[in-house]
Amino acid sequence: MKKKRLLIRLAAVALCVALGAAMMVIGRGHTIYLDNKTLEDYQGQEYKSFERVNITVHGEDEVIKLAKRERDMATCMGQSFHMTVEIIEKKGDQPRVEEIDLKLPYSMDGIIVNLPALLAGLPEEAWMTEFIPAPEPEDSSEEPSIGDEFGMGEDLGMEGDPIA
Amino acid sequence: MKMKKNFNGFDFLQNNLVPLMFIIICVICYPLADLSPSYLINEIVNRMGRNIFLILSLLIPIMAGMGLNFGMTLGAMAGQIALIFVTDWQIWGIPGVVLAMLLSIPLSVLLGLMCGKLMNMAKGREMILGYMMNYFVTGLYQGVVLFMMGSIIPIIHASVRLPRGFGVRTTVNLTPMRQCLDNLLAPRPYGVKIPVLNFIIIGLLCLFIIWFRRTKLGQDMRAVGQDMEVARAAGINVDRTRIISIIISTVLAGFGQIIYLQNIGNFATYTAHSQTGMFCIAALLVGGASVERASIGNVFLGVILFHTMFIVAPRAGIAITGDAMIGEYFRVFVSYGVITLALIMYEIKKRRARSQGGALLAQAQKEGGVRA
Amino acid sequence: MHQPATAIALQYWLKKMGYPRLIIGGFLLVLFIMAPLTGSDLTTQFTNVFNRFSWNAVLVLAMVPMIHSGCGLNFGIPLGVLAGLLGGTLAIEMGFTGPMSFVMAIVVSTPFAILFGGGYGALLNKIKGGEMMVATYVGLSSVSFMCIMWLVIPYKHPSIVMAYTGVGLRNMFALDSFYAGVLADFLKIDLNPILGINLVIPTGSILFFALLAFLMWAFLHTKTGTAMTAVGSNPTFAKASGINVDRIRVLSVILSTWLGAVGVLVYQQGFGFVQLYTAPMNMTMPAVAAVLLGGASVNKASISNVVIGTILFQGLVTMTPTVITALIHTDVSEVIRIVVSNGMVVYALTRKTEGAK
Repeated sequence: MKKKRLLIRLAAVALCVALGAAMMVIGRGHTIYLDNKTLEDYQGQEYKSFERVNITVHGEDEVIKLAKRERDMATCMGQSFHMTVEIIEKKGDQPRVEEIDLKLPYSMDGIIVNLPALLAGLPEEAWMTEFIPAPEPEDSSEEPSIGDEFGMGEDLGMEGDPIA
Repeated sequence: MKMKKNFNGFDFLQNNLVPLMFIIICVICYPLADLSPSYLINEIVNRMGRNIFLILSLLIPIMAGMGLNFGMTLGAMAGQIALIFVTDWQIWGIPGVVLAMLLSIPLSVLLGLMCGKLMNMAKGREMILGYMMNYFVTGLYQGVVLFMMGSIIPIIHASVRLPRGFGVRTTVNLTPMRQCLDNLLAPRPYGVKIPVLNFIIIGLLCLFIIWFRRTKLGQDMRAVGQDMEVARAAGINVDRTRIISIIISTVLAGFGQIIYLQNIGNFATYTAHSQTGMFCIAALLVGGASVERASIGNVFLGVILFHTMFIVAPRAGIAITGDAMIGEYFRVFVSYGVITLALIMYEIKKRRARSQGGALLAQAQKEGGVRA
Repeated sequence: MHQPATAIALQYWLKKMGYPRLIIGGFLLVLFIMAPLTGSDLTTQFTNVFNRFSWNAVLVLAMVPMIHSGCGLNFGIPLGVLAGLLGGTLAIEMGFTGPMSFVMAIVVSTPFAILFGGGYGALLNKIKGGEMMVATYVGLSSVSFMCIMWLVIPYKHPSIVMAYTGVGLRNMFALDSFYAGVLADFLKIDLNPILGINLVIPTGSILFFALLAFLMWAFLHTKTGTAMTAVGSNPTFAKASGINVDRIRVLSVILSTWLGAVGVLVYQQGFGFVQLYTAPMNMTMPAVAAVLLGGASVNKASISNVVIGTILFQGLVTMTPTVITALIHTDVSEVIRIVVSNGMVVYALTRKTEGAK
């Protein structure tokens, strides 16, 4: 009887840990910056930016439209990113449609994807770079939370004497 | 069952004084506030979705006779710490909420255990102890979040950590999980958004509470709540049962705070929990609960009435006096006043019961004495 | 088991002092030793501690009567503070200035204190055993009620009402032309011109506290005072010996409330400002924590507890910011203060109370 109870408990803990691990995998959020920029001098070759790219990211309604040298971003939860890309390589060309699946590295928050390099079939290190945000200015105007709180400051409790 | 008894107007009035008062306040203030009904309904449904879970966490300690669990704030702090981690690890959306809940469990259990043990050392003073525990643990929480996070406990993300290298920013932004529970499966009939998923979770918790009351443990808790001595004589481990009730309450409060904060979308790291206990307790009492008896119905009625007051009072205050602050102060006063009133009524009742018990005992002794 | 007499004496001392007091006292001692090492002037620190002691001691003294009569820790001290605030603001409104305004503030606040204390005491008599929780919320709700009143009562005096609208009192106003420093400057000892050290002793405030403390001590030794102690330590016995328990309790609450009112006025004259609205809520914890730190329990307190406790607590509050910050370059004083003061109360609540409840 005791043993059975212990087993059930262990199983419950294991279940929680497994669930947590699963959540960490499927819930990891990434921001993907899609670049339609010329990649210069990759192993001596140049990959020109496209005239126009329309991207439909799986699960989002809005279509991302990129002209030359433009960047836009999409968000993605989990490590597989799926998009449909409609490319007009040069002016007057017929649009070419491609389906693309990407495996995103777990550790990166922001990922820059260079589309011309990606579509040329280059290896990963050629089209993927990590996006490192510029250090914020000290005083970031953080919006206050709008909860149920009384709008009377924070000293409603008895936290100590009024002057510090 | 109650209906079959003779209806006694005075008793009814006495038992439902607070809800009736609130209905009157709301009825008077609503026309003055000049709000459209759809706005009001939308707000109330929204607030129901985010607050009821938190308030439900108060029910189990009441069942165990430990009064209003002012220490529920401890759970809220555990939830906030979990949310800080989840934000730092960039886990978004519903998985983020689930992970935060899982992470909050060990912390809540630990804090609940501590709180429960101390409450067992201060039997009869559980409420004031829980109330003081808030402030005590708030100090510890601030120490951990402000000084240990980032220096000892790894916090890496620049949006969470203070620029100085350790400590957490004063606001934690939950944008990636903002209203992820509220918005999933949310129909909007007549422009009123109904957070169905929230209500499903709340419904499950209600079922859990109803089921829990019938289990062996739940029965034990009720026995402990009625009379500790009798329960102990019947072979119930009183201290353990009381600790478990506080732990359950703390864990549920942690979940509740996570649900609450995902609705708001960001939180003030160092102060977001400070008024949680007060709001939840006031809302529960407004619903007609007392210190020793509270039902799920009280929770729902309480949320509706308390938050209606909350929404209409400041605007009505402006309409009447022309001063925005008066309405603001008024709702603070009403919240505190309701709790004060409930506590006074509870203590008076308890004292009356005790003196009646004493009289009976004296009577019995007298009779025994005559016989001897 | 043979133990040398010193060890026994030490054990006795440890027991008598109580661990929290020892730990905090030791910590404070370390802080004082460290202070010169961190470059802060020790005499300035002493001046600060004296000053803050003189501001707060009367408020801490206000805890004593209620603890004595068995009403527990007076978490309802905001009620007394409100009486004091009413007295102070009305005295200014009536046009008094200088030391006279301080005297009038006490005079005017007295009827309020008696009224509030009487009602509060009568309420506490109805709820014996649950005083502390109710007291807390009576304090909170009365402060929030008075928040409305400060806006509504038609004060007129230009130096205390809101600058633009002229309606409602200001959140905070200076007492420079009223009773700021009236006690502190009386017989003030300033060693700066004589010895060249930065030590200022607010003799007047300390004498005032000593007077009140002596009166309290004397009162506790009168017939009524001993009756009060009897009510606190054993109400059944007190009742049996013909003491009107309820009346004594109400008296103790009135005394507590009045001392709270005087206490806040003393605090203001030292601090130099009046803080209204939600500020009274913040007066409770330092007073409660101080008396507990001084070695009082939920149902036992003496004048020496008040003195020791206030010195320890205010020492902690003044010393930690300067010394600790200088040491680790981070201001953890706020956290230490919150943890110590509230931890003290939690500790006291979990102690078994002596005597019957």
